[in-house]
Amino acid sequence: MPILLILMLVLGAVGLFLALPGGRADLSRLGLLVLAIGAALLVAGLTQQLAGEPGQALFAGCSLVALLAALRVVTHRKPVYSALYFVLLVVAVSILLVRMQAEFVFGALLIVYAGAILVTYLFVIMLAQQARPAPYDTRSREPLWGCLAGFVLLTQVAAYVYRRPASEQAAVLPRVGGDAILNVATPLLTHYVVGLEIVGVLLLAALVGAIAIARRPAATADEGED
Amino acid sequence: MLAAHLLVGALLFALGLVGFVTRRNLIIIFLCTEMMFQGIILNLVAFGRYPLEGPPTFDGQVFSLFLIAVAAAEAALGLALVVLLYRHRGTLDAGAWTTLRDE
Amino acid sequence: MTAATSILPAGLYATLPLWPLFGALLVGLWIALRVKPERAHWPVVLGVLVSAALAVTLFFDLQRQYAAAPETHAGGFVYSVYNWISLGQPASLEHNQWLAVNFYFDGLTGVMLLFVTVVSLMVVLYAVGYMRDHHGHPERGYERFFAFLGVFVFSMITLVLAGNFVLLYLGWELVGLCSYLLIGFYYGKPAAAAAAKKAFIVNRIGDFGFALGIFSLYWFLRPYVQPGENPLDYAVVFKYAQHLATAQIGGMSQATLVSLLLFCGAIGKSAQFPLHVWLPDAMEGPTPVSALIHAATMVTAGVYMVARCTPIFGLSPLALDVVLAVGMVGAVLTATMAMAQYDLKRILAYSTISQLAFMFVGLGCGVPDSAVFHVFTHAWFKALLFLGAGSVMHAMGGIIDARKFSGLRHVLPQTYAVMWVGCLALAGFPLLAGFWSKDEIVHAAFERHAAVGIIMLATAGLTAYYTFRMFFLCFHGPLRLPAEAGEHPHESTTMIRPLWVLAGGAVLAGYLGVSFGGPASESFLAIFRPHGLIHDFLHHSTIGHPEHGHGGLWLLYLSAGVALAGIALAWLRYGAAPVADPDARALGGLWRLWHAKYFVDEVYDALFVRPLRALGRLFFNTDNYGVDGVIWLVTAVPRGLGFALHYLQRGALQAYALSMVIGLVAILVLWSWWT
Repeated sequence: MPILLILMLVLGAVGLFLALPGGRADLSRLGLLVLAIGAALLVAGLTQQLAGEPGQALFAGCSLVALLAALRVVTHRKPVYSALYFVLLVVAVSILLVRMQAEFVFGALLIVYAGAILVTYLFVIMLAQQARPAPYDTRSREPLWGCLAGFVLLTQVAAYVYRRPASEQAAVLPRVGGDAILNVATPLLTHYVVGLEIVGVLLLAALVGAIAIARRPAATADEGED
Repeated sequence: MLAAHLLVGALLFALGLVGFVTRRNLIIIFLCTEMMFQGIILNLVAFGRYPLEGPPTFDGQVFSLFLIAVAAAEAALGLALVVLLYRHRGTLDAGAWTTLRDE
Repeated sequence: MTAATSILPAGLYATLPLWPLFGALLVGLWIALRVKPERAHWPVVLGVLVSAALAVTLFFDLQRQYAAAPETHAGGFVYSVYNWISLGQPASLEHNQWLAVNFYFDGLTGVMLLFVTVVSLMVVLYAVGYMRDHHGHPERGYERFFAFLGVFVFSMITLVLAGNFVLLYLGWELVGLCSYLLIGFYYGKPAAAAAAKKAFIVNRIGDFGFALGIFSLYWFLRPYVQPGENPLDYAVVFKYAQHLATAQIGGMSQATLVSLLLFCGAIGKSAQFPLHVWLPDAMEGPTPVSALIHAATMVTAGVYMVARCTPIFGLSPLALDVVLAVGMVGAVLTATMAMAQYDLKRILAYSTISQLAFMFVGLGCGVPDSAVFHVFTHAWFKALLFLGAGSVMHAMGGIIDARKFSGLRHVLPQTYAVMWVGCLALAGFPLLAGFWSKDEIVHAAFERHAAVGIIMLATAGLTAYYTFRMFFLCFHGPLRLPAEAGEHPHESTTMIRPLWVLAGGAVLAGYLGVSFGGPASESFLAIFRPHGLIHDFLHHSTIGHPEHGHGGLWLLYLSAGVALAGIALAWLRYGAAPVADPDARALGGLWRLWHAKYFVDEVYDALFVRPLRALGRLFFNTDNYGVDGVIWLVTAVPRGLGFALHYLQRGALQAYALSMVIGLVAILVLWSWWT
């Protein structure tokens, strides 16, 4: 595992600790700066590994956008901005998927996430709109321990990913032939058809549950308290 | 190249995890879980696209689809609960709900 | 072994034990159906009546068979009802060994059944009147009482009829159980509950030896039996008993060991010294139960068993000596105890033990037929005496202490009359039942050794003395009544009628054991020769032909004289029912020792009860504080841990999430180090 990678992860962890809401504003800016530098360096390093593959630039750009958007989702003090950054994140990730020739998942992700789920989030955020930034948005809980845990987790995963030298891994990306939709649909509707049915039932249950929960008046919900 | 995609997915997952643990706003907490899903989807598709041996497979993409469906269900239920909780306490602070503690 | 000439089919005789059981079950149904208790006694009365009728028929049937073929020694017949327990198929045997439910009909069972059923019938009839209050309403538990009585009679008949040792043991234990239930009939009374427990536990001690005896019998005889023979069957046991005499075990012959172990059971069941302590306490039960225990069932079982096992006991002179010694010691001790009591029923209880001891002396002297003859006569007059005492108790409102009343002949004339008969019979007054049988035993004792004979004769005198001491204290002297007796104490007709029947038995039962036709010119008593019908009859059983010496006429006169002297002495000292006991003053410390029953209960208390209780307390404390303490300590660990950890349960969702993440990371780190 490259030393450089650890260094960048340390940079990221320190930056995240500084950027999380709760500290002073200028330190937060500094943290974001550190994070941006770290992310850029990291993405540059990763892009290096893709040498010989087409779409290097696409990977670099989308990864950087996704990481920066994710950082803002986590660190931003206004939920609305967090949600909008999340849309950006989803778009970046879906472009990464297109690069890996997962066109159907790309479409599903965009429609379901950026379209449906995020709109619901925005509705809820608007529903719970506060006049000023709420106190719970300006302070974070246990940022040190959280960052430390995330950092150690990442180092462990990275160590595992780079357990073998990069040269051993299949470097050449073969072109996948066939119809993009048919490629996904065939296993989905043959091998995984039971899972598909179960997911359908799950969605139905979630629908019923959401209605049941949302329709409950506040008065009856009060009874469960205390 | 598998490792690069895996690392990006892991970064997204770890960031979501840190956000889940540190942020106090219930909506952001949920957003962070969705972010963790993003990282996982990226990983799954990458695993299918860059197999260690043999031709690429599409199982990763199928799992991603399942994951999207589960995420949708989770978002629907979770947001319904958030709305309920908000109506109840008038706040989105996760720290407002500690009634399960042992006195 | 043929039933060809029998009056009734053998299968009908085999139903003998069942009738009282049916009656008892019917009463149980009665209780379940909540029928009024008024007539709950009928099923049991009828059941015992049918059994009694069958027993009388059986007696004469057997007698007819013996008369037809006097040379057949074994006589009787075995009726096998069904195969009960498979004893397995030992390698040495070809056929499966079966333990059958089989009934053994011979002279001994005939005699036993005769008085067991008839006396039980009288007691049950008596209880119909006794178990009621002054207005004639049944007591609480009336149905229960009769159900238990039915089972009691069933158990005793089973015990007597049993054709193998396992069935005998079954009846033996059932009798013990029923005595427990009946002695503790007034279970609300602490003394009754304690007495029931005492009877049961003391019996267990003897039964332990009895069970060991049966086990060793099976063990010893197994090598000898032929295919298909069951080594616990009477016929098989007595067929191969000779082998036991020669085989040695632990320095004694096997016969001695088996006999002594079996005798342990007899000591417990027949309340012989040193296990006699339960019988006087058993007086806490209702009086009919006492009568039943003392006369017909329970205590006679020990004598019956030893008599039945004569072929084994006879092989071991040592065992016979032990039986004789236990009998002698018990006879003297309990007779003296009886002299210093005031409780009517207790005096009778001690006299029972003393009389049973007489029987064991007879068994020990090698005349089991005389012992069984004494059981037979004793049953009649002891039942009579107990039921008479019950009549007194009933009239006196539950008071039984002879110091509290006197001169009862004025208010209870019929009871007075039958008690005269019973006391005379017990005292051995000439020509009454007790005289004949007791004389035979005393005679056998003289044959054994002069000293034994003199001791038994003296005990007979004591018997006459204490019996009439009790009698005069109750019935003679000025009329004194306790307050509980009410204004007009009276006797109940229902209760008196069976007493007259028993009084008839007390007078006449002895004549079944004597034959007539001596040289009348010599003297009046000489026309009676001992060893009459009963003896002939008993000889057709496992008892066989014991050797009787020539019954000296001088002994008849001597024992008659002793009995009369005892009665006369009692008349002189207690004829006026003095309030101050003359014996207590005259005998001083000795009397107090007798009154305290030789402190046997106290000695047992100090030797066994207290140490055992202390041991029990030790175990309790060990369990309560030692074992439970360790368990408490063990549970304290998770409890303390939980208490320490409950501070972490803050209810904050994200704190939980963080700890989960930290745990996950820790596992990952450890895992990566590991690989």
